[in-house]
Amino acid sequence: MRHTLTIASRELRSLFVSPVAYVVLTLWSVIAGTFFLASLIGFQEQQIQLQQYQMLDRLEQMNLNDQLIEPFIGSMWVIVLFLLPAVTMGLVASEKANGTEELLLTSPLSIWDIVLGKFLAGAGFVAVMTAIVAFFPALLFLYGEPEVGKTLSGLLSLLLVSITYVAVGVFGSSVTRNQLIAFVLTLVLLVVIGMMLPFIVDITMAGSGLGRDSAIAQVVAWMATGSHVDRMLQGLIDTSDLAYFVVSSGVFLLLSKTVIESARWR
Amino acid sequence: MSEAAKPTAAGRPPAIEVEKLSKRYGEHEAVCDLSFVVQPGEVVGFLGPNGAGKTTTMRMLTGFLPPSDGTARIAGHDIFADALAARRAIGYLPETPPLYPEMTPAAYVDFVAKLKDVPRAGRREAVDRALERCGLSEVRGREIRQLSKGYRQRVGLAQAIVHEPQVLVLDEPTVGLDPIQIREIRALMAELATSGGQTVILSTHILAEVEAICQRVVLIARGRKVLDQPLAELVAGGSTLEEVFTRVLTRDEAESAAAVGGPSA
Repeated sequence: MRHTLTIASRELRSLFVSPVAYVVLTLWSVIAGTFFLASLIGFQEQQIQLQQYQMLDRLEQMNLNDQLIEPFIGSMWVIVLFLLPAVTMGLVASEKANGTEELLLTSPLSIWDIVLGKFLAGAGFVAVMTAIVAFFPALLFLYGEPEVGKTLSGLLSLLLVSITYVAVGVFGSSVTRNQLIAFVLTLVLLVVIGMMLPFIVDITMAGSGLGRDSAIAQVVAWMATGSHVDRMLQGLIDTSDLAYFVVSSGVFLLLSKTVIESARWR
Repeated sequence: MSEAAKPTAAGRPPAIEVEKLSKRYGEHEAVCDLSFVVQPGEVVGFLGPNGAGKTTTMRMLTGFLPPSDGTARIAGHDIFADALAARRAIGYLPETPPLYPEMTPAAYVDFVAKLKDVPRAGRREAVDRALERCGLSEVRGREIRQLSKGYRQRVGLAQAIVHEPQVLVLDEPTVGLDPIQIREIRALMAELATSGGQTVILSTHILAEVEAICQRVVLIARGRKVLDQPLAELVAGGSTLEEVFTRVLTRDEAESAAAVGGPSA
């Protein structure tokens, strides 16, 4: 545990002196600002439209959470898919390329210390990313009255998705010493898990005899991130969704540990 | 040949005990049936031509590579059964020093001290002492990437000694350095060996280095031990170390060629 923290804090410090971290954080802030502004303008236009058409019942239903914060955070987690691989690509791969892997593996610590240390460092980084996103809904509290619970649940979903994706990134980074390969591999994995699984279910299940309600289809659909995030964005915190984040992080961390360990036996 | 394999009189376990260590990569045997013993306080030169298996052996001793066969004990701790204690007893400088270029020597050595379980109370002193012994006090706050190769090698050494290990494993510590840097590192190693009372196993193919600081020599070729003798005995006959080694290695090569039945290389 102590070693885990030692590795995590060293990694975090190194991350924050690397140009990659600042490029990612800058892009992330710019994208978040742009999306938030777009959501804000969209919200306003919708309001004006509803007023013009005298759709008072719909106007009454409009609120900052459902029409502004939810779509805003919902689009930010998709951006995580593309930016996060740049942050995680070096986590383990750079240790191999630097030769520092030899230091870590000859020190009195377990491979779990390395894997969890890297994971924690990545989690710390995405916490900063989530904090940047949280700044924008926080502005709304100055001028309006969004629901606190729903807003926090949305931010929590963003944080949990990002942390889960860090675990995927640790795995992508541990299979190679080449950071570019780690980047591409993580990106592909994330795009599949985050975006493509529902389509894969549709395509393959339609062609085969299995229906969309078959056990396999349901398992694969469960593996996709989308539905779990959507429920949390709506303010529903369900144990099965939390379990999704815990289980998928666990699986990828276990894979990383196995990969790092087995590399020594070759 | 196996003169050093006797148990210690004092009852202290040998610093390094290598027992029939082997490493195979598929068909290729990198290290084969290697056994030797190093007593506490001894400075041993681990020699051999390139590709003889020096680095592989050192990586197995330090727990980086699992051996295919055999085992080794570091200060009495088995590298498998008692891996953490064995690793704690070792300071290791790999062929390329394992450095994080964006860190300062002070932060880096402190990081390694934490990894090696140096108790919190004495950690600052341990780090300062390691930096000072390696002549790094002036550059302790600079980024490692800005340091010259000689200084980086020193940071690597500081990292290896910060937890005051019983055994120091140094893999070609002077390779790629200029003559002045070589002299400095060599003096540093000699100082560590004499004042620290540390056991040192040092791989190199610079014979002058061996003559300067080693008491004993283990020579390997093609993964097998071909010579294990105190330095004084080796040069007793008046021949130089170079002559002795050339003779031993040529004989070994001829023998292996004869054993295979092929033409001698």
